[in-house]
Amino acid sequence: MAPLLAARGVSKSFFGNPVLRDVSIALQPGRVHALLGENGAGKSTLINLLSGALRPDGGTIEVDGRAVARMTPAHARQAGIAVVQQELSLTASLSIAENIGLGAYPKRFGLVDYSALAARAKAACELVGLHEPLSTPVGRLPLGRRQMVEIAKALYRKPRVLILDEPTSSLSATETKILTDLLERLRSEGIAILYISHRLNEVMTLCQHVTVLKDGICTADRTLEGTDAAGLVRLMVGRDPGDLFPQWRPSASPANAVSVRNFSAGLMRDVDLDIRTGEVLGIGGLVGQGQEDLLLGLYGAIPARTASATINGTPGLPGGVPRANALGLAYVPADRKREGLHLIHTITTNMMLPAFARLPALKLRSRRAERETARGLAAQLGIKGDLARQAQALSGGNQQKVALAKWMPHDPVVLLLNDPTRGVDVETKREIYLMLRAFAAAGKAVVLLSSDTPELVHLCERVAVVRDGRIAAMLERAALSEEAIVSAAMGAENRKVAA
Amino acid sequence: MSTVSSARPAVALYWPVQARRNIGVRSLFVVVLAFLIAYGFLFPGLFSASGFAKFTQSWFPLALVAMAQAILMLTGGISLAIGATVSLGAVIAATTMAGPLGVTGGAAAVALTGLGIGAATGFIVVRLRLPAIVVTLAGSFIIGGAALLILPRPGGAIPEWLSDLLAGDTPTAFVLLIVIVLLWKLYLATPLGLSLYAAGENPVGAYRSGVPVDAARVAAYAISGLLSTGAGLFVAAQTGSGDPVIGAAFTLNSIAAAVLGGIGFLGGQGTMRGALAGSLLLSLMISVMFFLGFTPVAQYVAQGLIIIGAVAIPQFRKVQQ
Repeated sequence: MAPLLAARGVSKSFFGNPVLRDVSIALQPGRVHALLGENGAGKSTLINLLSGALRPDGGTIEVDGRAVARMTPAHARQAGIAVVQQELSLTASLSIAENIGLGAYPKRFGLVDYSALAARAKAACELVGLHEPLSTPVGRLPLGRRQMVEIAKALYRKPRVLILDEPTSSLSATETKILTDLLERLRSEGIAILYISHRLNEVMTLCQHVTVLKDGICTADRTLEGTDAAGLVRLMVGRDPGDLFPQWRPSASPANAVSVRNFSAGLMRDVDLDIRTGEVLGIGGLVGQGQEDLLLGLYGAIPARTASATINGTPGLPGGVPRANALGLAYVPADRKREGLHLIHTITTNMMLPAFARLPALKLRSRRAERETARGLAAQLGIKGDLARQAQALSGGNQQKVALAKWMPHDPVVLLLNDPTRGVDVETKREIYLMLRAFAAAGKAVVLLSSDTPELVHLCERVAVVRDGRIAAMLERAALSEEAIVSAAMGAENRKVAA
Repeated sequence: MSTVSSARPAVALYWPVQARRNIGVRSLFVVVLAFLIAYGFLFPGLFSASGFAKFTQSWFPLALVAMAQAILMLTGGISLAIGATVSLGAVIAATTMAGPLGVTGGAAAVALTGLGIGAATGFIVVRLRLPAIVVTLAGSFIIGGAALLILPRPGGAIPEWLSDLLAGDTPTAFVLLIVIVLLWKLYLATPLGLSLYAAGENPVGAYRSGVPVDAARVAAYAISGLLSTGAGLFVAAQTGSGDPVIGAAFTLNSIAAAVLGGIGFLGGQGTMRGALAGSLLLSLMISVMFFLGFTPVAQYVAQGLIIIGAVAIPQFRKVQQ
């Protein structure tokens, strides 16, 4: 039987960076097809290609066995392809029914036919177990219910192919049960379903076929029968570390630079955490589980509560960025273009920025002293070229180095790094890794939040894996492996968890 | 729209949706009612036919520009050209209606100008992806300049019978307002009209759902222009002539009224009934303070404080939650 929707050998690059290479996938009617892969493996890009939101650089998209020259979202909708995206497409001020029908309202005399809409929306809502009045504004629903509205919206269009991108991440156990029962029923009605989830248990029970992506390459395309969770995890991870990671010796001391109990900030709830001086502590987990809030809360950039906290020997949380800096904390954000640097200002100015806060308010700047300090930092970090240029003239890797460099004159005791190597070339990655280990060897505490699992395995003394706003596992060096981190992040099973 | 064909099971939806939309504006309605009572107490003439007519006439143009601003803010836009567009509408009405075009031709010219200006602005904002605040600021100079070119100093004329009809002792303005509100409800019941909310609040999600986001936004600008020149026609009828700068105050007052009515700057937040209540509140505030003997300066200061208070109170509530 020809697959309802298929990709044949598709490739896609963003800014010369290959995200998908020669990937094929075929969605058959009456089958739930799982798509697995780590953060950044290319799953979202593949969905966008299948739904026409993006166009492949190479390869073809086929509907009913026929290649489609230029797939667009409109074409995909006509072909009966419905996507439940991770970011919701709902409008908070409109009612449940108005959201479900959005873009495909039944019409009568040019007006929205509210009674037809009500009947059809009600049918879709019943499928997903939504019993709230149809007139309820979506903004008043909790996140899990909104997700169900999103799914009802896809069903309203009577799809032949249903693509769900992590639909259960915000659902309760009951809602998840309703959804899995529903998908089982839709499958038996002959609908092709593509199911993306990080919850391996769900995948094992719900799906019949699996495609695994790793770094944009398809590493498995096979039936799920006879495969176990550990086997799937192995297919997702594993990369030759090669020469990328430097050799280093553990330098952690038993003394704590930071110690918090029952710490809550943003998504993080009641976390106990000790950060030792001289260690690189990794923070891992799937994207958006609260890792960033942990860093920002410690740094005083978002409100945080705690039962007790000691930072660098001083009790209490900083509660604000200037105080955090005074306590010896420094933070390097993930989005260097928006938060890390002032792109239109010179490299020198960017490097000097934290210093401005420390100088007496009315003291005049000494341009010469600034230039000399900047030159020293640039030499230390290997930033080449004219420092009077705008920061935006630098490559991503060098921008990241400037974002790091600006804290160095202040001799921070704790460095909080938010994904410092994202979008950075290999050469600079290695330089940054060397820098991190050098910081740790000098007796500083380095906290490395990273979405790159090998980085955590090969650079850190310990890794805290965050799931659902809690530290799901604290993996010591001896127990560190990509499998251990990914398993803990997905809650697949409880591995050896050393204290 | 709310009628049910016999073949389908009756599921009430339209009216419950309408009722739900009152939720955010109930406290505003209470405040407006309090001000109305205070006004009636200070100015018992409100309850006579001519008093009611005069009262609604002082509110009417502000109500129109508040709607004109609100529809743009719902799409995530804004206009700084509303005042200039009101002036241009007034000037065109005053120069055409007493001439060969007559009242019908003049009104058509006013309406087409408004639609045209609005559609052009919308096209520039939406298709060229320029910030609405900059485009409409530039537009206000161009439109204001055009008004001055047509009528360099106050003049022109509106036929007396039209002035009497619109701004005399009859509640024509109030009836017109009801008609306009009904037309708005009708527009909001079309797929394009309803898309306005989705296009303003979550344009990416709306686009993915198949909503013609760009068309909904351009249509909003066109309607906004039409309402603005319509307000200009009415103002010209009130004064009996055209004045090329008479609309200036409406730009900021329209924003103030929309904000008082709970329309958010981020798009998709608020309701037209809120904006109308906001414009009524603003109009009442000005009148009440006048009757209480506030000096004009004190009126402005009090007006500003009340607006900041009105915007801040919901924020405080949000923080507390």
